[in-house]
Amino acid sequence: MKQFDDRKKTAREAERQHLPPLTVGTLAGSDRLRRWLTAAIVAAAVVSPGLMSAAESPRRPNIVIILGDDLGYADMGSFGSEIKTPNLDSLAKDGVRFTNFYTNATCSPTRSVLLSGVDTHVNGLGNMDEWTAPNQLNVPGYEGYLNKQVATLPELLKDAGYHTYMVGKWHLGKAPDLIPAARGFERDFSLLDGAGSYWDMNNFTAASPLSVFTEDGRYLTKLPDNYYATKTYTDKMIEFIDANHGDGKPFFAYVSHQAPHDPFHLPREWRTRHVGEYDIGWDAVRQTRLKRQIELGIMPPGTQLAERMWFVPDPIVLAPAARAILGKKMELYAGMVENLDFHVGRLIDHLKEIGEYDNTIFIVFGDNGAEGTDLFKMVAGSPGSRDYLFSAIKWSQTHPNAWGDPGSYVGYGPMWAQVSMTPFSQYKGWTAEGGIRNALIVSGPTVKRPKESINCGLMHVADIMPTLLDIAGASYPQERNGKTLLPLIGKSWMPMLDGQVDSPRTDRDYLAWENFGNRAVRQGEWKIRWEHKPLGKGAWELFNLTNDPAERHDLAAQQPDKLQEMIKLWENYVQANNVIIPSRSMFETLEDQLPPRVPDDPGYPPLIKKKQFVPPQDMIAAPKS
Amino acid sequence: MKNKEFLKKSVLWAGLAAAVVSAVGLFYPPQSLAQVPARFYWKNLSGGNGVLTIFESISGNTNPFDPSHMVTAGAEFDATLALLGYAHNFSLFDRSATAAVIMPMGRASGEVTVAGSSAKQSASGFGDPMLEFVVNLLGPPAQKNIPDAMRYEPGFSVDFLADLYLPIGEYNNDQPLNISQNRWYGRIGMPIVWQLGPWVPGRRTTLEFLPVMWVFGDNDDYVGQTLESDLLFQLDAHLTRDLTERLWGSLDAAVYNGGAATINDGVPGEELNNFAMGVTLGYGINENLNLTFSYKSTLNDDAPDDMKMDVFMVTLVFGWHPLMEGFRKLESSN
Repeated sequence: MKQFDDRKKTAREAERQHLPPLTVGTLAGSDRLRRWLTAAIVAAAVVSPGLMSAAESPRRPNIVIILGDDLGYADMGSFGSEIKTPNLDSLAKDGVRFTNFYTNATCSPTRSVLLSGVDTHVNGLGNMDEWTAPNQLNVPGYEGYLNKQVATLPELLKDAGYHTYMVGKWHLGKAPDLIPAARGFERDFSLLDGAGSYWDMNNFTAASPLSVFTEDGRYLTKLPDNYYATKTYTDKMIEFIDANHGDGKPFFAYVSHQAPHDPFHLPREWRTRHVGEYDIGWDAVRQTRLKRQIELGIMPPGTQLAERMWFVPDPIVLAPAARAILGKKMELYAGMVENLDFHVGRLIDHLKEIGEYDNTIFIVFGDNGAEGTDLFKMVAGSPGSRDYLFSAIKWSQTHPNAWGDPGSYVGYGPMWAQVSMTPFSQYKGWTAEGGIRNALIVSGPTVKRPKESINCGLMHVADIMPTLLDIAGASYPQERNGKTLLPLIGKSWMPMLDGQVDSPRTDRDYLAWENFGNRAVRQGEWKIRWEHKPLGKGAWELFNLTNDPAERHDLAAQQPDKLQEMIKLWENYVQANNVIIPSRSMFETLEDQLPPRVPDDPGYPPLIKKKQFVPPQDMIAAPKS
Repeated sequence: MKNKEFLKKSVLWAGLAAAVVSAVGLFYPPQSLAQVPARFYWKNLSGGNGVLTIFESISGNTNPFDPSHMVTAGAEFDATLALLGYAHNFSLFDRSATAAVIMPMGRASGEVTVAGSSAKQSASGFGDPMLEFVVNLLGPPAQKNIPDAMRYEPGFSVDFLADLYLPIGEYNNDQPLNISQNRWYGRIGMPIVWQLGPWVPGRRTTLEFLPVMWVFGDNDDYVGQTLESDLLFQLDAHLTRDLTERLWGSLDAAVYNGGAATINDGVPGEELNNFAMGVTLGYGINENLNLTFSYKSTLNDDAPDDMKMDVFMVTLVFGWHPLMEGFRKLESSN
């Protein structure tokens, strides 16, 4: 412990003197060498101001992670959206957009990897807490919270001399030893649940009716006046930053927004920015987004859209009223994203005002695919159930004019989720690209790649831990608090951000996923996935993502060798991470709930596009009698 | 084997019809009369129709059938009045408009003193039918389709209103108390609806005004004499608030000014300068049928020549739109 304290002190001293910090967890020999060098430089600086100038290095950058909850791949303007996100786009303009960045298919697993750098199946989020299967109970790695076997990113950055702040959604544990303050954050204002009202403490079930919040390690009995999640989180983060600004230490700010996760709660003035714009239907919006993505260079020319889910109708068959009702949900979602962008802009502007923007690294991404599952239907239960009664009391603002108000619950369904994930297939919870691929923006002083450029390197949320440790001048310790730490699974982006390489991974490196029993492996341009029916086949499918990013063409039958090769990688992954396929899953009865799967053949049946036959004018006649 | 009915119902779109009907909301009564409760000027889907019935029980010192409210000092009238009407909403240059025809009928009785002679009188039968035209001037555009109707919020709406009464009702020139007024008359006004807060059933609040100017022709056979009436200015005001999604209430007020009556070019009578207050409860029985109960009474009515009037009013309005009826039929067949 003393060794760590010494390191912290030395890092702080180095910070104050604008010197490179000591790394955390380096070998004792190199530690001594760094200390000696530091002392020598300090001494030389005292003797010779000129030498000090030569030895000066830039102050370590601040780090801001902006995490959108269920934010879709195609929801930012810089990734092809019609939704106006000028502030997020400004970060893209100052930095780099990444088109092959992966998270997990659901939120708390992604967050656990982000903050630990190790696989979900060992860090405690082998399954979401809400869905732990019977065969996963009491198995290490499946605790349902970020377990104590891992060191967290804020802990290590704090050790390295960073202030560590968090606002927003935590979803990694509620017990006192699991909350943000116990896991390395100096200051926090956190929603411990996975979702809830944006306006108050209401949560979704009778058994757990209230959201749980903490502020600086204390559980809150009420929320601040004029609470609105996105606004309040931003206010708090600005307050945290200002409180210590000027002490010379850089900060790590984890801005874990609840937005745009449903329910789409939103101030009234943000609800009417797109009235009627989405009445054209999801197909048209997807086509427009893909066109823009190709123009921007996000997707290559020739990219096809993923098939429309077979249970989602062609909007052409819907009455204007139905399109308006469904379009209104997307209007609200767009407002959610724009409101999120507005508050991100407030934070950016504040950092500019206090002179920290130019020395701040921003990492922006969504935690999983957009949400296509009707969560409210799942949690509200059936008539007569306790949750139904609870919903009748707390969540019954169902009139469209009330959407966005406290007590309303609006999600936007699979059709709009697919729009958010243009051009990909499926959405959150599934291991198709629409469930796991996300937009990523990185900007700031350590990014040496051309501004506004686009990179297609294969990247993963687990990479953020080693990358940020590199940026902080720290390294990942082999042990902490007497426990041997699990190895990091990610790869630092530093060589890639420096422009030395285009991807942190080689073609031999692979990524693998398992959520709710849905699985996938990606290696180079190849991907296999196994998904529950009916969205999947209940069998492995093989795709070439370079040619087919929308996963329209299953090549498993055509390339059995490749399939087997990839399955072996999966088996390695299972072995290495103690992956236990859940015996129960939230999708286990989905096949009985959806219509039988049929292909999506554009224009079929022709009946839906037939128009009134108009005979030639010269052949029109009245009846003869 | 899957149950096809189950599947059909489980598909995402099955509930849309209900959602649309719910979003469009209740068909509020078409348009107005001289005495109408609040919320009569809310706009509906173009093409909508309404049949309205208004029942009023009125007592006071003015002829309840005479909107000029000519005061007869010392008189006591009681009347039972019914109005039947039909209205149709349509779009006019992208503005919401309504045309309506309303037929009053009923009976009135009381003791009347005219030119020093007193008599018990009564009258009954059909009154003067009214033609009404209302067009919105300021506010949301016409609701030409269901999406427009879904998105309707009055905000701050101002209409133009014109009513014309046709003097063809039952008239007896032997007595001043009559169902018909035996003269042309009408009014122009500007109904105003001011939305306060969200437009969510159960939470709607409005402030509504109806400033009107009544114009009266001469009745040249008013008990053998000529009756002239000055312009009458009337302002109705309502503060309305939803109590639940279907139940609402309002505080009502009315101000009357002017309307002095002159008989045979003599000395003009007293101008009205009166104030009335009332309350209304409204209930949407279903998507078609609306019911209101109101009571209103004049306040500053102590002097003999002050207008005294109190009114119980019940309105029942049946509204329908062919499209929405079709929706409902489909919904019920599912």
